[in-house]
Amino acid sequence: MTRIVVVDNHGQFTHLEGRALRDIGVETAIVDNTTAPDEIDADGLVLSGGPSIDESGRCDEYLDLGVPVLGICLGMQVIADELGGAVGAGDYGGYADVTVDIDDSDDPLVGSLAPETRVWASHADEVVELPEGFVRTGSSDVCDIESMSDPDRGLYGVQWHPEVAHTAEGEAVFENFRAICES
Amino acid sequence: MVDTELFIEEAVEEIENEVGDANAVIALSGGVDSSVAAALAYEALGDRLTPVYVDTGLMRKGETEQVAETFSYMDSLRIVDAHERFLDALSGVTDPEEKRHIVGEGFIREFEREARDAEADYLVQGTIYPDRIESEGNIKSHHNVGGLPDIVDFEGIVEPVRELYKDEVREVARALGLDELVAERMPFPGPGLAVRVLGEVTEEKLDVAREATHAVEEELEAYDPWQALAAVIGKATGVKGDNRVHGWVVSVRAVESRDGMTARALELDWETLQRLQSRITGSQENVARVVYDVTHKPPATIEYE
Repeated sequence: MTRIVVVDNHGQFTHLEGRALRDIGVETAIVDNTTAPDEIDADGLVLSGGPSIDESGRCDEYLDLGVPVLGICLGMQVIADELGGAVGAGDYGGYADVTVDIDDSDDPLVGSLAPETRVWASHADEVVELPEGFVRTGSSDVCDIESMSDPDRGLYGVQWHPEVAHTAEGEAVFENFRAICES
Repeated sequence: MVDTELFIEEAVEEIENEVGDANAVIALSGGVDSSVAAALAYEALGDRLTPVYVDTGLMRKGETEQVAETFSYMDSLRIVDAHERFLDALSGVTDPEEKRHIVGEGFIREFEREARDAEADYLVQGTIYPDRIESEGNIKSHHNVGGLPDIVDFEGIVEPVRELYKDEVREVARALGLDELVAERMPFPGPGLAVRVLGEVTEEKLDVAREATHAVEEELEAYDPWQALAAVIGKATGVKGDNRVHGWVVSVRAVESRDGMTARALELDWETLQRLQSRITGSQENVARVVYDVTHKPPATIEYE
């Protein structure tokens, strides 16, 4: 069975990410972000949200494990920060209901949600500059980079929360990520 | 979704293993979480279980009577009138976290006393997953987690539904055959109406919150909200029958949610909103205004404190 491990950055919704994976029938576990990389046994990783990039533990090291990674909210910011992009305070915090325009209907992670999708967000900071190799895959009125992908390296990020009940097509994101992990 | 049959089997076994031959008390609030925990513990322990319901004076209208009726099948049920002790302890306290801690501590002390009397060594609680995540994240401390005093006089605390979300607890409630009233009951916070009156807890504010919450629950029944409530948020000027009133401001809140982790403020029609304000200001002379809270979660939480 495909095994996708959730790395806990102490976010409000970490446990819901586990639940979402469990609900689509994937084997899952939640591990702390201080876990040694060689102790992680997974076909894919979800980096959870959390309060601060300074408390993201060893998340940067998990990007080299050679398995697909989905960063959610802070998890996406960690990927951008580590790989040469930039994170900053947005002009406008993103809370609750946001409509995201999907840029590319072929994107493996969010393409199936095109042309637009209703999501639930909760963030003050955002990715303001993409790391090299990434393309922007979604944007909204309140946040320019709502999602990003680097399919060659299997690295993906969403600024919003596919795991919460109020995100309309959250389950599809996890299904798509499962397909990425299985291919 | 949780496999209810397997869950019930494992939870009952876990309670049996943890409590062994000892006695336990159950903290019963009448809400679905503690009711499920009680039913599971009753199945595991039978008459070695003493369910304790504490009437804190912070309960909803008619709540105590309803609990007495629903759980009358448990012979060992105890209803404790602790109303004055709680209001005394809360007197003069305005900080929301301190209010939560005082109520939490008060609960534990009541249970400790009843447990000693019932010769129980274990406390069973209906803590669910979102209670823990909010306490661990320092968003709000929940009475059955964060308010727990450092020195607890129990051998152990058993939390059989600690990994579940509210919707999953309801599934388990239905599988356990708990009546619909309990399984579908609207969530109600542990600290009760104390967190629906901003600032100091007084009898007058509690009465306003209690009557207004009752009105909101009744008037919005057709919307089938996840949670609907009224909170006393301050004072403002009004005019009633040509007399100036410096009365309470009642905020009405109604949300839909799956699990309480995120919530959407309900879109209510104008007529419903007007009926609510008319009923609340008309039946309570010390209420000057009614407002409707349109904020989702996040950025707000469902309750006010």
